[in-house]
Amino acid sequence: MNLLSFLSFLILAITLLTMVFGIIAYFLYKAREKKKESAELTYEKILENEDRDLLYFTKEE
Amino acid sequence: MAGGLWLTFFSVTNLEQIFVKTNNIFVSFGVILIFVFTMFIILRYLLLMFFSILQTLQRTADKDFTIYEKDKVTVIVPCYNEEDVIIPSLKSIIAQTYQNLEILVIDDGSKDKTYDLAKKFEFSDKQRSLRVLSKTNGGKSRALNYGLEHAKGKLICCVDADSKLDKHAMELLVQHFKDPKIAAVAGSVNVVNTNTFLTKLQALEYIQGLNMVKNGQAFLKLVNIIPGPLGMFRKEAMLEVGGYSHDTFAEDCDLTLTLIAKGYKIDFEPDAIAYTEAPENLLDLLKQRYRWTRGILQAIKKNRQYLWHITKKPSISFVMWYMLFESIFWPFMQLWGDIFMIYLALSTGMSQLLLFWWILFTVLDVAGAIYCLLLTKEPLSLAPYAIIYRLVFITVINIAKIFATIEEWFSIEMNWGKLERKGRIG
Repeated sequence: MNLLSFLSFLILAITLLTMVFGIIAYFLYKAREKKKESAELTYEKILENEDRDLLYFTKEE
Repeated sequence: MAGGLWLTFFSVTNLEQIFVKTNNIFVSFGVILIFVFTMFIILRYLLLMFFSILQTLQRTADKDFTIYEKDKVTVIVPCYNEEDVIIPSLKSIIAQTYQNLEILVIDDGSKDKTYDLAKKFEFSDKQRSLRVLSKTNGGKSRALNYGLEHAKGKLICCVDADSKLDKHAMELLVQHFKDPKIAAVAGSVNVVNTNTFLTKLQALEYIQGLNMVKNGQAFLKLVNIIPGPLGMFRKEAMLEVGGYSHDTFAEDCDLTLTLIAKGYKIDFEPDAIAYTEAPENLLDLLKQRYRWTRGILQAIKKNRQYLWHITKKPSISFVMWYMLFESIFWPFMQLWGDIFMIYLALSTGMSQLLLFWWILFTVLDVAGAIYCLLLTKEPLSLAPYAIIYRLVFITVINIAKIFATIEEWFSIEMNWGKLERKGRIG
């Protein structure tokens, strides 16, 4: 294998891996933000998006 | 440069071979598209570097060492939960060599000790004062407008609470307002925490983005974004366009576009430096770039009518097309080009094309990086990072930009996404 072919293969492999990594990283970021949002959710915040004055919760049997 | 031309020749020869040999219409179309795109990028690099050199020469020739302190400058510092960074930020503003200053700290309903910490810095003397104003949380643009309402200065300097200023920043920015057509001047932003691999790449990106791109744009007096960490505006011009708008996540970009559309000029001062903290982990970086991309796209969407004002308002039309190219066309084409060349390598065995393409961009990046590092007297040790800059860093950022573009297209809900500060500017 000559140097040019080796370098071509190397760049091809790095490009492919980076693309996959980039997509995974983006979805990891999205998942982290979603988790953060739900952790920061308070009773008052939920109430803001509701038309009612109060929210009622039912106990699971 | 000779290397770049040699690589261009090889790439074009490769492309021509594929074009001649293939009967596949998709491949022929792809080859033409890649060729046109690559020519655009080379032209963009050459023009920006040429304008940047001209601008630097012009600045050196016109250098005026007189300090003008006639106009009062109001510094507006909007802050929301900035207890880790507010002290060094305010200290750097108070330490400015420009004396005619009014500092307004706008606490946008912080839930931490930001207000109490800033309050300790309040003072007032003959020429200078610092006041802390508090309001209910409403976002950065509203906080900036609140500061604008209370400002007494003819010039308004907007500074992010997580930035630390060089002590000469104000006096350097003020000098540009001798020209009445100048409505705003962008400051230079440097990364303070170059302690990790990721922040070193960002430092290189900032240095190139400022000294090649912004300096080049400054030659035409058409800088397209006044950065949040440091920018100075003529109050009269700001009021004329109604201050900051609240309908985009890139209020600074939107305001700059509106000012250009009104016929004003926007300049850049490379020696007025603000030091800022860059995200230290990848997910925080993606969060920042996601917000920037969607904000810029919102600003483009809002001002899209100017795209077609080619003869009526050529300045704003040119800026709009340039932004459209940089924020949508380039990321999509770069990624599409990579995928297309991988397909060619797998289907025709011509894997060298991707190598030549990458080397071509890397030669441009390294040449740009060396030019900018020499210009700013930053350590040349950052230059080797340009080798993997395009291959890894830009590819990952472009993927996030493309997803952000798609989400913006479908108007998917987003929030500001404030980054957590590590307090590195102290």
